[in-house]
Amino acid sequence: MISRIKGWTLGVVQPIADWTEERTGVVTMLEHFLYEPVPKRGKWLYTLGSATLFLINLQFLTGILLLFYYVPTTDNAWDSIYYIMTDVYFGPLIRGIHFWSANILMIVIGMHMLRTFFSGAYKAPREINWVIGVVLIMLVTILAFTGYALRWDQEGFWAWEVGIKIGSYTPFVGAYVATFLLGGDTAGPATLARVFVIHVWLLPAALAPLIGIHLYLLRKHGEFGSEFEYSKRLAELRERQQIEEYALYEEGDEDSRG
Amino acid sequence: MVEVRRGPVEKGEVITEENVYDRPDETIGFFPSQIVADLAVSAALLAIVVALSYLVPAPLTEPVDISTTTYVPRPEWFFMFYDQMLMFFPGYALIPFGGIVIPTLVFILFFAVPWLDTEPGHSPVKRPFMTIVAFLIILTVVFNLLLGIIRILNFPGGSP
Repeated sequence: MISRIKGWTLGVVQPIADWTEERTGVVTMLEHFLYEPVPKRGKWLYTLGSATLFLINLQFLTGILLLFYYVPTTDNAWDSIYYIMTDVYFGPLIRGIHFWSANILMIVIGMHMLRTFFSGAYKAPREINWVIGVVLIMLVTILAFTGYALRWDQEGFWAWEVGIKIGSYTPFVGAYVATFLLGGDTAGPATLARVFVIHVWLLPAALAPLIGIHLYLLRKHGEFGSEFEYSKRLAELRERQQIEEYALYEEGDEDSRG
Repeated sequence: MVEVRRGPVEKGEVITEENVYDRPDETIGFFPSQIVADLAVSAALLAIVVALSYLVPAPLTEPVDISTTTYVPRPEWFFMFYDQMLMFFPGYALIPFGGIVIPTLVFILFFAVPWLDTEPGHSPVKRPFMTIVAFLIILTVVFNLLLGIIRILNFPGGSP
């Protein structure tokens, strides 16, 4: 039954796949990405990373949807959120997902970091990926902090004030930090504009490419099976695989010449 | 039906995309096994988040009143431990240390972790020093978080 469905599907899909493959090479790329042997024993622990990625994607998606209605001015910010929560179709759902997935993201990203730490996954050759991960967790924390100031309600605004107050105690550059974050000497329209730019443009723009590098390095070195000393075995397998591929390549070369 | 082999990988044996599924004892294919696990967790999280967004709507307190003098700002739960740690650095002379200098040092140490950890092996049992340090950091965060919650519950109108 399955083979019959498979044969039928192949007849339809194969020409499309071939057409796309010839022009973009996307099929080979997908095969390369998907058919990767990964350690079995860390299976559920490794879902922490993908869960982080999923929640960040949810943030991007719901954040873009919220931008359809959110107005980043001191006069209208609160009202626009009130409007989202009362009148917009699925408004409470979209904002609820944005709020709750941000909160859960803080837990999951922390667990992901702890997993990496306790399994020693930051050891050579994965040091750079750990460093990028620390930058990512910093960016996510600042995103979370700027996020609730955007509500421009009492809670968010005063929390932001406290944050600026703490920032103003930075040795040597405290005054500049406070002026930069306030957009002047006191809180006002410029403050909200800055929070908005930081939360919606600056940090997501920094976050996205770093996530890309994080994933690239993950694939380059392979998923880590540290606690079971698995990585060495996987590396050996890769090496053998490459040797075999090279042998095949040479064989093919001789065939074409002969 | 594919033949299922068990036991350690034999010498000279190559795991490829064709036979990766035949070794349930050592490896799984990223597709579909790992992806199924990832999707299961993601779907569960999505369900939780959707349920929460209806059960506990995202908060929106009253509009900003910049002139108020009675409002007591409270940090979000993930900043509560940090807020509580500031209580141990009272006065203008110490706040820069508790608020900026020490957190910056902690983050620099985080960046340096791969080069600070010189103990061989990967298992946390084989790296007692790093494991103990990590547990101390976790204890500090959890302890301060609890202290912060207790303080906020005890002084709802602002800390003394």
